[in-house]
Amino acid sequence: MRPFGYAAPASLAEAVEALAAGGPGTRVLAGGTTLYDLMKLGVERPTAVVDIHHLAELSGFDTTGRDELVLGAGARLADLAEDPVLRRDCPALAESLAKAASQQLRNSATAGGSLLQRTRCGYFRGGPPYPCNKRRPGSGCAARDGTDRGHAVLGTSESCVAAYPGDWAVALLAFDARLDLLGPGGPRTIPLSALHREPGDTPQHEHTLADGELIVRIRVPVTATGRGSAFHKIRDRESFAFALASAAVAVRLGRRGTVQDCRIALGGLATRPWRAHEAERTLLGEELTERSALLAGETALAGARPGTHNGFKVALGIRTVADALRTAGRRAAS
Amino acid sequence: MTDPARRVPRVDAADKVTGRTRYSADHCPPGTLHAMLVPASVGRGRVVRVETEAARAVPGVRLVLTRLDPEQVRSPGFPQSGSGYGFQSLQPLLDDRVAYRGQPIALVVADTLTAAVEAAGRVDARYEAEPVAVTLDAEGAHTVVQAEEFPGIRRFADIEVGDADTAFAASPVQVDMTFDFGPQHHAPMELLATVVEWRDGTLVVHESTQNTGAVRHGLARVLGIDPARIEVICPQAGGSFGQKTWLQPHVAPLAVAAARLGRPVKFVMPRKQTFLATSFRPASRHRMRLGADPSGRLLAAIHETRSQTSRHDLFASDYPSITARLYGIGDFRGTQHLTRTDVPTPGFMRAPFEHVSAFALETAVDEIAYATGRDPVALRLDNDTATDPVTGNPFSSRHLAECLRRGAAMFGWAARTAEPGSMRDEDGALVGWGVAAGAYRASAAPGVARLRADAEGRVAVDVTGHEMGQGLHTAVARTVALDLGVAADEVRVGLGDTRSAPQHLTAGSWGTATALAAVHAALRRLRTRLGVPDDGPVDVAAAVLATGRPEVAVEAVTRAPGQSPQAVDRLHAGLSAPAGPEYRGFSAFSFVAHFAEVRVAVETGRVRVSRVVSVVDCGRVASPVTALSQIRGGVVWGIGATLREGSEPDPRYGGFVNADLADYVVPVGSDIGRIEVAFIDEPDPLLNAPGVKGAGEIAFVGVAPAIANALHHATGRRHRALPIRLEDIL
Repeated sequence: MRPFGYAAPASLAEAVEALAAGGPGTRVLAGGTTLYDLMKLGVERPTAVVDIHHLAELSGFDTTGRDELVLGAGARLADLAEDPVLRRDCPALAESLAKAASQQLRNSATAGGSLLQRTRCGYFRGGPPYPCNKRRPGSGCAARDGTDRGHAVLGTSESCVAAYPGDWAVALLAFDARLDLLGPGGPRTIPLSALHREPGDTPQHEHTLADGELIVRIRVPVTATGRGSAFHKIRDRESFAFALASAAVAVRLGRRGTVQDCRIALGGLATRPWRAHEAERTLLGEELTERSALLAGETALAGARPGTHNGFKVALGIRTVADALRTAGRRAAS
Repeated sequence: MTDPARRVPRVDAADKVTGRTRYSADHCPPGTLHAMLVPASVGRGRVVRVETEAARAVPGVRLVLTRLDPEQVRSPGFPQSGSGYGFQSLQPLLDDRVAYRGQPIALVVADTLTAAVEAAGRVDARYEAEPVAVTLDAEGAHTVVQAEEFPGIRRFADIEVGDADTAFAASPVQVDMTFDFGPQHHAPMELLATVVEWRDGTLVVHESTQNTGAVRHGLARVLGIDPARIEVICPQAGGSFGQKTWLQPHVAPLAVAAARLGRPVKFVMPRKQTFLATSFRPASRHRMRLGADPSGRLLAAIHETRSQTSRHDLFASDYPSITARLYGIGDFRGTQHLTRTDVPTPGFMRAPFEHVSAFALETAVDEIAYATGRDPVALRLDNDTATDPVTGNPFSSRHLAECLRRGAAMFGWAARTAEPGSMRDEDGALVGWGVAAGAYRASAAPGVARLRADAEGRVAVDVTGHEMGQGLHTAVARTVALDLGVAADEVRVGLGDTRSAPQHLTAGSWGTATALAAVHAALRRLRTRLGVPDDGPVDVAAAVLATGRPEVAVEAVTRAPGQSPQAVDRLHAGLSAPAGPEYRGFSAFSFVAHFAEVRVAVETGRVRVSRVVSVVDCGRVASPVTALSQIRGGVVWGIGATLREGSEPDPRYGGFVNADLADYVVPVGSDIGRIEVAFIDEPDPLLNAPGVKGAGEIAFVGVAPAIANALHHATGRRHRALPIRLEDIL
């Protein structure tokens, strides 16, 4: 095997130090569900690994707060999925977890690591002979004229059309989650919406974390809108499959049934977790009907640029949003 | 089947669930070294240079092989071109040609698997790449007429009965449909695994295979050594579905490496390589024309096919064999083409031709039912035939009508409203009910059974046949146990071992018929030798003691009806020798009727197969517990093949992109609804003494068109390609 350094720091502070000391090529190991996989494929070749999976400082989570949920970055997806508060007050979050991967993977994957899950693009994962700008900057993109059925239709560029694969980040994005970070420059907090990058000309840069910076916790504002939320996921089989399209939506209805607050985020369709603000605005003050839900879906997908085999994702995305809104509306009204 | 004394559970179940079963890769003789292959990264071309220095520098590396001596290693030959043993004739590492992406260009052997993997990754090669053609329509793909390539070979010839073109043109009701079926891979749970060891000049091979005989004799031919010096052992394979039919091209190089290093060598093929370097179900295109009269009486069928093969071999197809026989169609023509592409040679994958042929025919039949306003079950019953339309001979047994009638009753078919889109469930989802029939040739091969009984009352039987999970151990143990009146778990069964009985390919649903015919004959012989009556329970210990010997051993060699003694010679040479479906004076097929219920959410394309009812005519059911499991598994396969599984070729680079179990989507438990199975369980009177026909493949034939016909019933849309994915529903 390829030799690499391994550090298992005893504290968060030590972890940040170890990351800084490791320099570029150092990778953080949390649940390992992406990193091990890509290391076996030869796509990730870290020079050193800083293992944080055991850090108790990261693994706790508290969903009892009145204003916000505080979720440690090291919390296991399986534990979060079963949290009764999450299931009652933010069903979209719980559903996104329950529909992610398999029970075995959820037992290992972490709340913070999942946000940085890397794409499932077969050309990225496949290694040579395929060119891939994400894997080898400047080599080209094999997916653009290739087997792109699972690829993104939103946020794509000439360099990359790889879809962001996860579910959890999509749901969190709809809830305006914020991230507490810790790095060599100290702590800071950013909105989740500022974490992921669109590929542009530099698809190898997928996020905005500074070198050596760790996600420490996720904060989710508690709102009344959460109860009227739903995560809808369309995939090639009934479990253990990535989304072809997903939608995390939440609505709060006024007395006359008009939409007072609305959140729409998309997964499986875009190069990053995708918030559809404009689509949300089409619903504000409107009644939630079959027609208005479809219009919101159409607005969310208005900028879609399909490739060769993924044209169906536009219609699918529209209907996924509409379907999710129907479920969310039912929950909001009850 | 209802008599509890006859209920024999799967005899190897406890070993499997407790981890005691030893699969090929579980063998690790002392000193075992580990091998890894280096796959070519171009889809076609020439290897100019292979750099191995970096690989050799990895600690623990013992050997890096990039070229074999043609004096030492030869082609195994390809079975369909006469007598051969390999899944393809191409033996890698003999020259600089690359025929497909994934073809091995080097073999690395190291002390540990980790070192072997690392070193394989460090082998660097330079190529002269050439344009690839991996799809039927690719530029550079070359199409030939199958019948012209195999002159005089009946099973690869066109089928012509009457004058189908004239009869079709004159048919008042006509259906003309073209179907596209994508490539698929077997994806068995157990990976291809080989452990080779030279013991005192004998090559001992633990190989995951359904054909230890061909591995043995194929290695003898490839390596130029006496087959008497080769033992191949595979008592259990963890699924196969046709992937492990013939000698794999990496086994001989492993034997060369083991000889050179004087140590056992183990190789387990990584999942990705199984999608690039092994056989697969080829892509095929079918044009099906079906003519009928206004009452739905089928008058003529024309079935034209084009199927993918490799550049180096012609993998001959057999598509029209069941389309000509599923119904009593008077005028039939079946013509087959093969298209050469840059892939490893495609091969047999469960119901290799019948699955897609049934899809084409049974979709067209459903169209005829709608065009003539007939109920799809009634129309099929009206077109039943007791005579094989191709030969004019009777079927040995044919209970298709009973399968359809019983299935319709179990399913509740009478409550179906014919209009597409006319049924909905309580949640508003569209409900569709579909039916399709299937047939699969009832073949049998020559077999040998060696039966031993001792004075302690123990019974052991070694027989021609392999266990891939289908339940042959159980079927053999149950047959012996019920015959002699002993407990099934006290019967020792030896399968898949060239040391104990000559071994023939176990495939084509002939495994049980072959093994049980031999076992049945051996039991008769044992009774004669023991001097006990021809039937009834036997006190084995007492009977053996009475002979005055510690043990009584008998052997029986059986052949399929009408087979010549040369078939047994082929068995002893590791060549395949199946007979059927045409025998002297009769034809033999298994039959099935599948009924499927789908629920469709049209908005998002979500399809659930909520219910399947399958009624099977596979002759007498030799082992009810495992047969039931076989049929259920076949239905699950059908659901996967219809809605999920498709290998995605890359026309630019060659090979397949979705080369793992995350992206090659097989069904999961929650994809499967209720599956109800019934057996006709009537012995076939002509095929063999136990009266069994095959069950393994008939289970799967017709599942796909039943589901697609149900989808049509739900949505009004016809599907002419597989797999049917949600974008085809939206």
